[in-house]
This record gives sequence, C-alpha cells and structure tokens, in this order.
Amino acid sequence: MNVFAGVGGGAVGKEAASVGGGALLEVTPHKLAVCHLVQIFAPPPPQAGVAAPALPFPFESVAHHNRLGLFLFALTRSCEDFLEPPLEELLRQLKAVDSLVNGWLCQQLTSTLSVLNSPDDLFNFFDKLRGVLSAPEGANVEDEFLDPNSQLGVFLRCCILSFNTMAFEGVCHLLANLVEYCNSSETSYDFAEDEAFNSEIEMSNFMDANIHVRDAIFDKYSKGYAPESHMGEGSSSLVHASTSLHDFDEGIFKAEDNPDCLRSRWQLEAYLNQQADILEKDPSLVPLNSFNATMSQLQALAPELHRVQFLQYLNALTHDDYIAALDNLHRYFDYSAGMQGIFSRSSSSFQDIIVGKYESALLCLGNLHCYFGHPKKALEAFTEAVRVSQMNNDDSCLAYILGAISNLLSKIGMSSTIGTIGSPYSLGNNIGLGTPLSIQQQLLVLLKRSLKRADTLKLTSLVSFDHLSLAKFDLKHVQRPLVSFGPNAYTKLRTCPADVCKNLRLSSHVLTDFGVDGLSASSDNGSFSTSWLRNLSAASNSWCSSSTKSRKVLTNDFDNFHFHAQPSPIPAAVLQLAGSAYLLRATAWEHYGSAPMVRMNSLVYATCFADAASSSELSLAYVKLIQHLAAFKGYSAAFSALKLAEEKFPSTANSHIQLLKMQLLHERALHRGQLKIAQQICDEFGVLSSSVSGVDIELKTEASLRHARTLLAAKQFSQAANVANSLFSTCYKYNMQVENANVLLLLAEIHKNSDNAVLGLPYALASQSFCKSFNLDLLEASATLTLAELWLALGSTHAKRALSLACQSLPMILGHGGMELRARAHIVLAKCHLSDPKFKVTEDPCSVLDPLNQAVEDLQVLEYHEMAAEAYYLKALVYNNLGKLDEREEAAASFREHTIALENPYNEADSLSY
Amino acid sequence: MDTPSLSGSAASGGRLLHLHRSGGSSFRRRLRPGGGASEAGTPLGGVSYVSTPIPDDDAFDVGADKYLLAKTYFDCREYRRAAHVLRGQAGRKAVFLRCYALYTAGEKRKEEETIELEGSLGKSNAINQELVALERELSTHRRTGAIDSFGLYLYGIVLRDKDCEGLARTVLVESVNSYPWNWSAWLELQSLCTSSDILNNLNLKNHWMKDFFLASAHLELKMHEEALKRYECLMRVFRCSDYIQAQIATVQYSMRDLDEADMIFEELLRTDPFRVDSMDVYSNLLYAKESSTALSFLAHRVFLTDKYRPESCCIIANYYSLKGQHEKSVLYFQRALKLNRKYLSAWTLMGHEFVELKNTPAAIDAYRRAVDINPRDYRAWYGLGQIYEMMGMPFYGLYYFRKSSYLQPNDARPWNAMAQCYESDQLQMIEEAIKCYERSANSNDTEGIALHQLGKLHSMLGQSEEAAFYYKKDLERIEAEERQGQNFVEALLFLAKYCKNIGRFEEAELYCTKLLDYTGPENETAKIFCKG
Repeated sequence: MNVFAGVGGGAVGKEAASVGGGALLEVTPHKLAVCHLVQIFAPPPPQAGVAAPALPFPFESVAHHNRLGLFLFALTRSCEDFLEPPLEELLRQLKAVDSLVNGWLCQQLTSTLSVLNSPDDLFNFFDKLRGVLSAPEGANVEDEFLDPNSQLGVFLRCCILSFNTMAFEGVCHLLANLVEYCNSSETSYDFAEDEAFNSEIEMSNFMDANIHVRDAIFDKYSKGYAPESHMGEGSSSLVHASTSLHDFDEGIFKAEDNPDCLRSRWQLEAYLNQQADILEKDPSLVPLNSFNATMSQLQALAPELHRVQFLQYLNALTHDDYIAALDNLHRYFDYSAGMQGIFSRSSSSFQDIIVGKYESALLCLGNLHCYFGHPKKALEAFTEAVRVSQMNNDDSCLAYILGAISNLLSKIGMSSTIGTIGSPYSLGNNIGLGTPLSIQQQLLVLLKRSLKRADTLKLTSLVSFDHLSLAKFDLKHVQRPLVSFGPNAYTKLRTCPADVCKNLRLSSHVLTDFGVDGLSASSDNGSFSTSWLRNLSAASNSWCSSSTKSRKVLTNDFDNFHFHAQPSPIPAAVLQLAGSAYLLRATAWEHYGSAPMVRMNSLVYATCFADAASSSELSLAYVKLIQHLAAFKGYSAAFSALKLAEEKFPSTANSHIQLLKMQLLHERALHRGQLKIAQQICDEFGVLSSSVSGVDIELKTEASLRHARTLLAAKQFSQAANVANSLFSTCYKYNMQVENANVLLLLAEIHKNSDNAVLGLPYALASQSFCKSFNLDLLEASATLTLAELWLALGSTHAKRALSLACQSLPMILGHGGMELRARAHIVLAKCHLSDPKFKVTEDPCSVLDPLNQAVEDLQVLEYHEMAAEAYYLKALVYNNLGKLDEREEAAASFREHTIALENPYNEADSLSY
Repeated sequence: MDTPSLSGSAASGGRLLHLHRSGGSSFRRRLRPGGGASEAGTPLGGVSYVSTPIPDDDAFDVGADKYLLAKTYFDCREYRRAAHVLRGQAGRKAVFLRCYALYTAGEKRKEEETIELEGSLGKSNAINQELVALERELSTHRRTGAIDSFGLYLYGIVLRDKDCEGLARTVLVESVNSYPWNWSAWLELQSLCTSSDILNNLNLKNHWMKDFFLASAHLELKMHEEALKRYECLMRVFRCSDYIQAQIATVQYSMRDLDEADMIFEELLRTDPFRVDSMDVYSNLLYAKESSTALSFLAHRVFLTDKYRPESCCIIANYYSLKGQHEKSVLYFQRALKLNRKYLSAWTLMGHEFVELKNTPAAIDAYRRAVDINPRDYRAWYGLGQIYEMMGMPFYGLYYFRKSSYLQPNDARPWNAMAQCYESDQLQMIEEAIKCYERSANSNDTEGIALHQLGKLHSMLGQSEEAAFYYKKDLERIEAEERQGQNFVEALLFLAKYCKNIGRFEEAELYCTKLLDYTGPENETAKIFCKG
C-alpha cells in the first residue's frame, strides 16, 4: 500500500526535474511542521521482522488517515498566497482535519517544534526524517512506506536536500524563524485547546489569552538581553523605559509578526498564474493599487522572480494605465531577457513550446498597443516581431504573432483607402505576393498562414483560435480567390455559412486535443488544493465562532466540496476557447437570423462555460439572452432581466451591459415616441466611442445608425438621409458590408416615410441583394417587407405584387422575427388586402382582422404607439366596412389613445429608469 | 572638507563620525573662535551669512568615563558593546552615540544577512532590525527637544531607511541648520533631493556650507552651469581645497570640457597622490581621451593605495576596457559592484562591456539594474535603446531613446539615435526622423550627424529647398571645424546640382571648384558640371 504512489505521475517527474534545475525550495518553519506531520502520517517503517500495525498510532480509521494525507498534499500544493501561513492557521486547519483524536496532532506538533532549540536538534530532526523515506531491507510492496516519488516523498526529499546544503548561518536563521513561528501562535493555540466553551466563555477566554500573552512577551522583553535574542530586542529593552506601554505593545506586535517565508517556487508560480487568471477574468475584482502593493511586497522578497513584473504589467493593462503598463512590460523583458517566457506555465517540459525572448516582448507590446487602440503602433510592433522571430527561427512565436495580427486587423477598422501597411518591408512583402492586397485579403492570408503553422507545430489552442477567427471572417466577408485566371474563373459572390460551421466545429476540437501543445497541459495548477484548504478553513472558522449546532453539521462536512471546487480535467484556457465557439455560434445565428438558435447557444455558453469565462464574454452571452427577451417578450421582461444581470456584473465599467441598457432604453423611447430622450441616449452613445478614427468602429456605426433612426422618427427626413448616407460611405470605406445592408434598408425606410417610394425602391433592392450575398436571411425578409410597403405606396395597382412579396417574407419573419417585425408584417399584409381593389372585406374579414389583432397584441406589449395606432385605425376601417359599429368605436377609441400617447409622451422623467 | 561623494551611509560608519571624533568638547571650544574668524573672513560677494550656531553641549562630567569607554568600543567596531555601556545614560552625546552604535550594528547585521538569506529567488531584502526602536526613541527625543544636531542627523537616516522621505528631509534640514558642518548630513539631504523643485523648497539657513551643498546638489541634478558657477565662487575663498577642485573637474567632465578637467585632475594628483575619491571620474575622462598610459598609471597608483575600493576596481576595469580586454574589465566591474551594489556608473559601464562582448542579455540586465537604481540615468536608457537597435528591434528600442531624451532634452545624442531608429530600413518613418534630427540640430549636435542627415532626408523626399538649406549649414559647420570627408563631398555635390538646377550658376561653379580639390568619382562629376 504505497501511500500516494505516483500521484499525477508525470507532474511529479516534472517537479523533480525543475528541482534539479536549481529551484530548490527553502526550508522554513512551516515546512518543518509539514515534514513532521508527514512523519506522523507515514512513520519510519519498523525493522524487518516486526509486524507493522495496520495503521500508524494515532489514526483510528483509514479514512482518518487518508484525510490527513489529503490535507498534507493540499498544503504542499495550495497557492492561495505567496507567504506561508502562520502556525496558528495551520493548527486551526489541523484541528478541523483531526477531529477524532482530540487535538493530539496539534499537541504533538507544537511540542515537537518547541523542543527544537539548538542547531543540533534540527540536525537530528532531519536525520529522523530520512528514515521515513528509506524502505527497510526485505520490505515488499505490500508494506506501508512513503513512496519517494510521490508528491509528499518529493517534498520531503527536497526539504532534506535543502537542509543538507544549508550553511550554518542558514541553520541559525531557520532556528530564529522557528522560535518566532512558534511564539506567534502561542495565544491562539492555548485558546483553541479549550474545548468546552460557549460563545461568552469563548470571548472572555480569548481576551484573557490575549492579555496573558502580552504580559508574557512583555516579561520576556523586560529581561533585557535574553540569551536567544540576536537583534532588535536589545534596543527595545532600552527603549521601553521611555515609551508608554501602549506604544510598546503596538510595536512589539508588529515586530513579532510571523516571519515572512515564501512558499516553494512551484506554489509561487501557481499563485501568480492564478492571479493572472483572475485579472483576465474580471479586472474589476482586483483593485489596482492594492494589487500593486502586494506584488511589490512579493518582489521585495523574491527579486529574481521576474514574472511578478509581468503581473504588474497585466494589472496596469487591465486597469487602463498606459504608462505603467508600458514601463512594466519593458522592465519584465529587460530583466528576464525573455528567458522566463510568457507562455511557460510552471514546469512545462516542452522546451520548444516556451515562446521566449524578445519576439514575445514585441508580441506583448503589439497587443498592448492594440488594447489601447493604437493600430499603427501595434502593427509596427508586430511587423518587428515577425522579423525578429524569423531571425531567431522561432516558429511558434511567429504563429502566435500572425494570429495577433489577424486579430488586430479584424478588430480595428482599417480603411482600405489608406495604405496602413505601406512600406516594402512590412507585411505586404512578407506575404509573398507581388500585388498589393486589400486589408481583408491580407487578413485572410495571414489567418490561413497562422493556421497552417499552428497545425504543423501542434499548437492546439492557436489552431482553435485561428479557426474561430476564420469563422468570424467567413461570417462577414465574401471569399474571393486571390488570383483569378482567365475569363472562365467563376466566382460565387456569397458568404459561405458552411465554412463558418466547419470552422466552428473544428475550433471545438481543442476540447479533445488539448495537452498536446503543453501550454495547456498542466491541469493541476494548485487551485484544487487551494480551494480544499479554503473550504477547510471556512468550515473550521465557523466552527470556532458559531454555536455548537452548526459545528456538528460542519465538522463532518468540510470535505464535501462545492461543485466548482472539483478539479476540472479541462484547463480553463481550453474551456474559454471552446466557450467562445458557442458564443460565436450565437453571433453567427444572429446574423443569419435564427432567434431560437441564438438563444440556445447563448444559454449553453452561460450554463456550461460560465466558470472559465471572462466577465466580459459572459456578460455578452447575457446580453444576447436579454436582447432575445426584449424582442420576444417586450421591454418589461427585458428590463427585469437586465436588473439581474447588472447585479451579477456590478462593475459600472462593464461595457456590454451598459451598452445593452442604452440600446433598450433607446428603442423603448423611440417606440413610445419620447424623442428627446432618444436623442439624449444617442448623444451618450456617441460619447462612448474613442475619438481616434478606425477605433471602436462598430460602436460608432451603431451610434450613427441610431441617430439616423431617431431623426427618422422625428420626421427630419433630409437630415436622417444625410446621416445615413455618410454612414454608408464610412461603412464602405472600412469594408463593412454587413452593416451596409442595414444602412441601405434604413435609407429605404427614410424614403418610404418621406413619401418618396420611387427613390426608396433601389435602396431596398440593394439591401436585399446585400443580404442575399451575406446570407442575412432575417434582414432579407425585412427588406422584402419594406419592398412590399414601397410597392404599396406606389398605388393600389401594385397591391398584388406587394402581397406576394409580403407573403414571401412571412415564413421567415413569423418563424424567427421579433414582435416588432411580426407586427409590421401583419399590418402590411392587412394593408395589401385592403388596398387591393378586388378584395372585399365583407367576403373574408378574417384574413384582415386576424393579422391586425395579432399585430395589436404584439405592439401593445412593445408600447409601440405609432404602429399600434395604425393597426387600430385599420381595424376601425374594417369594422366600419363590416358595419360592426361597437367594435369600430372601440378600435377608434384605442386609436385615439395611442395617438395622444404618441403626441404627448407622458412621464418623461421615469423613462430613463426601468 | 574632503568627503567621499559616494559614501553610502551603511558601510562607512567610522568615516561618517570623523566630525565628531574629538570626543571631549574642549577641542570644539577651541575651534569656535576660529570658526567665527573664518566666517568673518569669508564675505562671499557681499552675501550676508548667518552666524554659525553654537551647539550647547551637556555638562561633560556626567558619565564621561562611560562615554569614553563606549567611544573606544565604537572605534574598535564593537557596536553593541558600546551601546550596552551607554544604556541608561541620558546625556545627548551619550544618547547619540548609543543610537548610532545600534544603527551601525544593525546595518552590519543587515549586510551579513543579505548574504546569508540569499535564496534561489534572489536576495531577500534584509532590513535593519533596529530601525523601529530607533525611530521611536529618536522621535520622542525630538518631541521633547532633548536631541542635538547629530541625533537629528541619525533620525534623518533612520527615517530615510524607513521610506519617510518628507519627514527625513525636514529633520535633516533641522540638523544642518543647527550644526552646518556635518557634511554627512548634507550628503544625506542631497540624496533625498531628487528634483530641483524639492531642492528649491528646502528651508535652509544661509550658511556658507549651504553653498557647498547647493553646488554638489546641482551637479547631481545635472544643472552643470549653476554648479560650476557656485564652485568657482567657493574656489575664490577656499583656495587650497582640493575637494572643490575635484568637483570643478567633475563638472567640467560632465560638460564635456575634457582638457580643462584633465588639467585639474593632474594638478590634484600632484598635490594629493594617494587620493582615490573622484578618481573614477578621472579614469572615465582618460578613457574618453583614450590615453591608456595615463590610465594605467592611475590604475597602478590607486591599486597600491587601496585596491578594495569600488572606485579602484572601476578604474582598473576602465583600463582593461580601453585595452580591449573586456572579460577582465567585466570582472573588475563585478568586483566594484560587490563592494557597492548601488554603484550606478559601474552598472552602466559594465553594460557597455557586455555590449562589446556581444552578450546582449547580460548587457540589458546590467543597464536595467542601473536604471532601477536611478531612473534618471540617461546613459543606461540610451544603452538599452542601442542594444535593441543592434538586435534589429528599432521600434522596441525607441521607447528607451525616448526615455533618454526625456531626461536629457538638450543632448543631441538621444535625438540622433531616435532619428536613426526612425529612418532605419525596418521602420522608414522619414518624417518622424526629420523631426528628431531637427531637434538634435537645435541642441548643438557636435557630431554633426543631424545637419547632414537632414539634408539627405529632405533630398530623398524631394524637398530640395530644405535639403539645400541644411546642406549649406552643414557645409558651414564642416568648414568652421576645418574637417573634410565624405559628408563634405556629398554636400558640395548636392549644392552644385541644386544651384545649377535653379539657375544660380555662379554659386554652382563655386561648389564645383571646391569639389575639384577631391579625387574620386565626384571630381569627374564636377568637371562635367563645369563644362555643362
């Protein structure tokens, strides 16, 4: 029964390797304590011939024994902090583990540690430890002993080795630290010993204990030069005569703090990785300055651990501190000379994977500029990175750089008219094609190139990322062959949804293939141990402070984890990538116009990938769900959901939620006819985006689109048309064809509403053809609907054609469209019938009344006064024709109601709240 | 007056105390009239100085024996023993000596611990364990007024070590105001004045020691003109002070006035042959002048005087560097840094050596450490930029040149370097390069790169008028310096062509005749021009 034999076999091997590389852990009092516990856990085997007991002495059951083992394992792996916990903390945790033998372990531990008084004691202690590891002669596998290659075995060996290489001064320091370590917890230990207490006695005990200790320390110091006092104390003894007792106490307790002992290197790196993950997930959780203070504290203790500077860079970056980010970035890469790399997660043995050196510095620099919206600088940095990595034959870094460049190109609107990539040494040439390419073509070439490279280098995460980017590209761009030969070359100018689906599917392969590239290999990053310990201390804390009743519940329960504490076999980074595929799927369906699919994919993302997701991505999924609600259930439902979402993402900086709120408010204001408010929100929209041209291009587009719509609602047709026209030219300049379809449709609407149906027709047709080539089915249906309206406006002779167009769009709209679109379709349908001279209402009233009733229902939920009024008007007409006067009056009254509401938008004040 | 300018307070306990060494107060009493006389005899340019304050001493009888015993222990470097002897003594001097002994003991222990505690993740920052107690005691004394200027000085150091810089400055100012001759206090104060604003806002009494302080502080803040002016004033009064001479030489070296500085240093060495202070500056100067014989002589001399001074190691390293033996040079720089980890110029110079050795990571590391010790060291920033430029990363290097030029805005070199990055093959940002060169040309570019490059870049961009302007200026400069070379020929050729094109034939002819003095293909071109 080898205890923990081969726990995570590979990981241990790696650990040992990294230990051999000079990253010895240093022996600290805390580690001494753990060593001692290991010794109790797996005592030295008895001499051959003596029958070993089934369980070592203090343990009552196998479960009990295993629990201590798990605890020790967690202690050596946890990465909650960079400093080791004080003895007090350790004892508290130990008490929670060892509830069965009444604190025997704690007593044992403290007594052993306090007996270590001289260097010789330490030597003997380690001598005894050595016995734990050596299997006795004639032992067989069945015997119980600690496997030297298990996690605990390696830990023990490291400690012994570290002690053996220690100079005498080091031993003295260890001893001094040990004394401090033991002293710092005298109080709480005494207090914790006290088993029988209720809360009042506990309190008084606590006070007493505190006072006792203060007295004890005071006594000790007033003795002057105690034999074991080397430093510090001497002067304190001289001082205390002249200072007040109060001051003195404060000072002593400061100085008497637990000695600052760092955890092992593995734990430190795990800690840093964890912090980096938190920063990435939700920067608002990490306050800028306090995190910086923590990091500088760590840096003071471990000046050669340069990754701390990288974390400081990340911190500054996520908090938008440009100068500090730049400084820390340069400092990190100067110091480590790139040798620590950025991608080397702890002890990766894949040396060729570690993207090291200066090209990664440039990669980071480029990303920094990209993040802060300096496309030109970012591109320069990336170009240089490409050059340097080619010079250094760093293929994997090159692949990453290409990925980053394509990310930049896709993210930041590059006007195709401005030669951003102009100089002969930059990318145009690297691509190897003589002819100048448009940005989009370059993007495609880069993506394919990066994908190919990543594929051959087996960088699975990058492959997945590139597939995602390709999917994104395919979604919005028509792929044209780069060089077409001859007149016969046939090009189909349409986007290809099949490609998008294929890429999304391939991207999800990362879920099965991860681990090959080594970056995402180590799934055990200490978080399991950390959360195990955290649960433990939470349990033991409440056990200490709350009543006995809850204690009973908790003491038996502490190792039942919460769900998220279970170690996931899939690394978070992989989960994140796989999750983005779902999010992108939702976006794709949004484009193609299938609301149920959007909802489904967003739901999958929000439920399955929420743990690994960054707050911004998760909020995006929520945004999609809420948008769906708004379109199908009306504003009140959407706003109540929004409230929940705002509670979940409390940071005001969360732009997705903020944007969504403004979108919803704007739409509601438009529907209600509150134009001033709509205009106000439009202005706010405009302020949100950066003033640099080419940056935040999507936001800017949306802002002016909404502006035009507001103007349209205010019947300022010529101005609306102007805004829409300039928006069209911007979109054209930045090659945003999908947005163009939208803008064209808007232009058609403007002309329709300004009674220029003839002028509107070409726009609607153009929009329709755009939609066709980009497979925007829902938008196409709505363009068709607009077309029908335009024909209708041309006179009753065109009613037939309008009707057929409306009918053509109906299946799509009724299947996937939101309430507004459905209502519009219904009204158009009714209007077509009514304006058809051959149509007799009296013969078939249902074909008109049914759609109108449907429309009225939807519009009332949406509070869309203008269209509701129209619907009621039509209804009144129909009833009039049918001779149903009561119903006619009712419809007319409703019509009046809505018209009044539209003309006198009431309670404007509350329309910004919800 | 001769005090090492680089003495860290930590290592030089014995030296710091020499002002106080007299022990008994009789010596100082004797000195007082002398001090008054010197004050009366030094009317510097009509400036009215405050009279030197007279520290009121304790009655010397109380515990005099114990004090003397402690002082002796202190001089024998048995600091804790000295402190122990003085426990319970309440006299100001006794308090100071006890605290100072404790501080020194703590510093000593700190240094030892720094080595002992060095782990795999680098040196742990050991702290002086006595600081907390000392601060508490000294602040109490300060509050009650039972503290003399030396106690204040010590309090200032303790505060500085505890990173309370503002209060440290105030306390040090108090100290120097009550006893102006403690140069160590001035030096500590100077190290806390990191900008001229801070310096100007100090509330200092107008004592003549203040002039020494201000001069030195100005030198440190690279305000060379002010420093030189002040030192020259002081020189008129303290005619024989070799400290002032050395400082003047240092200023002049910093202002690139090498010959003048050389002369002063030579003179200094003649009068004070065993001097090591400031000699590292001299060695830098000799290095710049490439006079290896003099440098070897100097190295030999300081080596015999005291080979375990950081300055000595630095001088020897400079010598090896000049001789092209960069490995050995690095070795000696490393030794200097072992003796003083914060020896700024050694880090920078070692960076240069690593560059020569083509060991770029090590060079970057060395420069970066220099920068982290003193972020105002523009040379190290410049060095970092240069390395990255050499590695073919001009865009990355720009950040460092920008830092360097920010610190030294009137120095042409960083601007030139930046411009070279911009016009490099990789970046080709000509307009930015032109801006930088213009800046460089305006700040007295002695190497004459800027004007020529400006002409060239403008002609590349087809802006021949600007190009002609700059070429002409460049020509004037070259002629003034009576130098010739390829640049000269290029400028002449362009100007000849340009003048011919715009029809100013006489001028063109002038340039052509000048060109005819040169051999080479340009000569032929000039002949063709003349004929055409």
